[in-house]
Amino acid sequence: MKTRKITSEEREKAFKQPRKPEVIEKQKLDVRYHIEDFEVEDRPRRFLEAFAAILKHTNYRLALDHYIRMSAKCSRCATNCQVYQATGDLRDIPCYRSELLLSVYRRHFTLGGMLKGRALGTGHLTDEKIQEMADSFWDCTACRRCAMECPSGIDHGLITHLGRFILSEIGIAPRALVVSTREQLEGATGNTSAIPVPALVDTLEFLEEDMFEEKSVEIKFPMDVEGADYVFFPAVSDFLMEAETLMGIAAVFTATGDSWTTGTGYFDGINYGLFYSDRMLERVVKKVDAETRRLKGKNILIGECGHASRSAKYFIPTYCGGDDAYPVINIMEYTHRVWKEGRLKLDPNVVTEKVAYHDPCNIARQRWIIEKPRELLKAFCKNYVEMTPYGDENICCGGGGGTVSIDEIRPYRTTIGGKLKADQIRKSGCEILVAPCANCKKQLRELVEDQGIDCEVVGLHDLIYKAIIFDESMVEKKEEESVNIEDKE
Amino acid sequence: MESLLDFARGPLFRFSFAVMILGLARILFLDLYNAYQAYRRAGDRNIPWGLVIKRSLEWLFPVRRVFHNRPVYSIFSILFHVGLLLVPIFLYAHVRLWKDAVGINWLTLPYEVAYGLTVSTIVFGAALFIGRVISKSSSFLSRKQDYLWPIVLLIPFITGFVCAHLGVGSRLYNTMMLIHVLAGNFIFILIPFTKIAHCVLMPLSQFISTLAWKFPPETDDAICITLNKKGAPV
Repeated sequence: MKTRKITSEEREKAFKQPRKPEVIEKQKLDVRYHIEDFEVEDRPRRFLEAFAAILKHTNYRLALDHYIRMSAKCSRCATNCQVYQATGDLRDIPCYRSELLLSVYRRHFTLGGMLKGRALGTGHLTDEKIQEMADSFWDCTACRRCAMECPSGIDHGLITHLGRFILSEIGIAPRALVVSTREQLEGATGNTSAIPVPALVDTLEFLEEDMFEEKSVEIKFPMDVEGADYVFFPAVSDFLMEAETLMGIAAVFTATGDSWTTGTGYFDGINYGLFYSDRMLERVVKKVDAETRRLKGKNILIGECGHASRSAKYFIPTYCGGDDAYPVINIMEYTHRVWKEGRLKLDPNVVTEKVAYHDPCNIARQRWIIEKPRELLKAFCKNYVEMTPYGDENICCGGGGGTVSIDEIRPYRTTIGGKLKADQIRKSGCEILVAPCANCKKQLRELVEDQGIDCEVVGLHDLIYKAIIFDESMVEKKEEESVNIEDKE
Repeated sequence: MESLLDFARGPLFRFSFAVMILGLARILFLDLYNAYQAYRRAGDRNIPWGLVIKRSLEWLFPVRRVFHNRPVYSIFSILFHVGLLLVPIFLYAHVRLWKDAVGINWLTLPYEVAYGLTVSTIVFGAALFIGRVISKSSSFLSRKQDYLWPIVLLIPFITGFVCAHLGVGSRLYNTMMLIHVLAGNFIFILIPFTKIAHCVLMPLSQFISTLAWKFPPETDDAICITLNKKGAPV
């Protein structure tokens, strides 16, 4: 799928600098995202020290050594990159972006590169090159679609991930992500949205009352239940912005009667470490594990969020015990399973609009969950349409890799990053777009608004909440209780 | 001339061939050793083998991928690689040299097939070179070696074709044969030290990209200590 290149007006809008000139001057870094003040002197040396430390304690050298021997520079990856498709800027070709870091590795961390560099006196890392990396690695949405198209098997997403990690060690990382992670790891509330526990409890009680009014069924959000089958970690922002998604999840558990709980010790699935620092990734993942241990839970259940799911699924085993780590499942897997078992009934007459499903990159790229949500949607949505390409070849929403949380680059995200996705949504003609990911939802809502597309963006469980059919006995129970209450009065 | 040709076909060939075999063995060993070390250090050792094998086969035999993106370029590239692999290994004249020298032989290509593959390798190799020159994205990324090696690779094919099929005089034949053998020897030496090493590394790429995401545990502490950041705020 291709898209037209952006116009000069769109380019001007997308690349408008939101930062004040004096800040850029002070930080000696001309990027479009806000950064907390950091040490600006001697950056190349500190970058190389951080790079060396990371190489020493991680497995990145394996990929870097392989890639510098393999890279054929064929530019085939360009055909799969939604950013390059929109800008047409050659510096946005994924292979070029990777070469920024690979060239530093080749020059400073391989024998041949060091000898050649010293003999010719060339290839030193400069502030200009760090500037280019700081720009380029955050223009990428880390969707890893380019890796699907590289004949040499180079995962450019991995290089972007590593590049951002090294930059963060010298203080170059988007302030939005750093501040949220600081609150999550060191703040009083312990979560990225800074929600205090009393506010969380109030919110959930309010939602319970709401659901009772709407469905006439007692639907609960169990808190701090020890020994529950599932300990639930949604993207914490869902408690503020995605009530219907949470209500849908609670409704499913009420229908099945399985035990689940949210812990008041820690209840945030978000892990921005995946986007900018493996050290933060490790720390956040360990909080999820610790809370599950505290509650003596049996499984870790992640809500509708792509990066939260990937962080837990692939990195809980890494940092918390390998094969002995808690099993991690995504809520869509659970809901699909109970529906298959006949424990969840959905009314096929409620959702009549044209519905399409968007695959979050962090869930679909590795072919983890692709068909399950589609089977569910097709079962109760009369008018389901498919956007192609989909599944592991899906097109990123344009806010991947943490860029959606950087509000100051919204014009970039909705003009460039999400342009190909906007074309795809338009082409499908869908009226409801299902995106089971907090980040994708935020980006897609901004995208359809900025691009003038008439389409509502919801979560999968938002629709399930509308269509769920409860067992008669559950509804009757509530009515009887109401009668009893009236009698007492 | 003939003594030079004998030298190029004899000691020089043996040297170049040994450099290629030992060089490829070295980088293959290093890749596998790195992979073993990474696997040993990884906190999560579950590799999705099904997906790794599927994606590796998709690129080693890129039938499904051909029409996905840039179909003309893809077909040219595949045909170029087919000739590049088959002709040097299965050409009757080459196999006979091996038989005469060390007494082993294997299947050979029929004359017409060898002729067709040689021509197609030259034509598609040249087309890929031109494509790289005129494609904005490819030429932007290309280093000097990306232009040079395809031309070097074509020299033995062109000179071999002249010798085998054009019925040239003995002087030109000997000159062409000398260039043919020297270029072949040069390529053998180049292979382990350039991107042509992908001939042995490519089957490992999907596995290595997957394994690279399998991080070692407890890296936070280790990196903090190395960078003197222990106890530093987020």
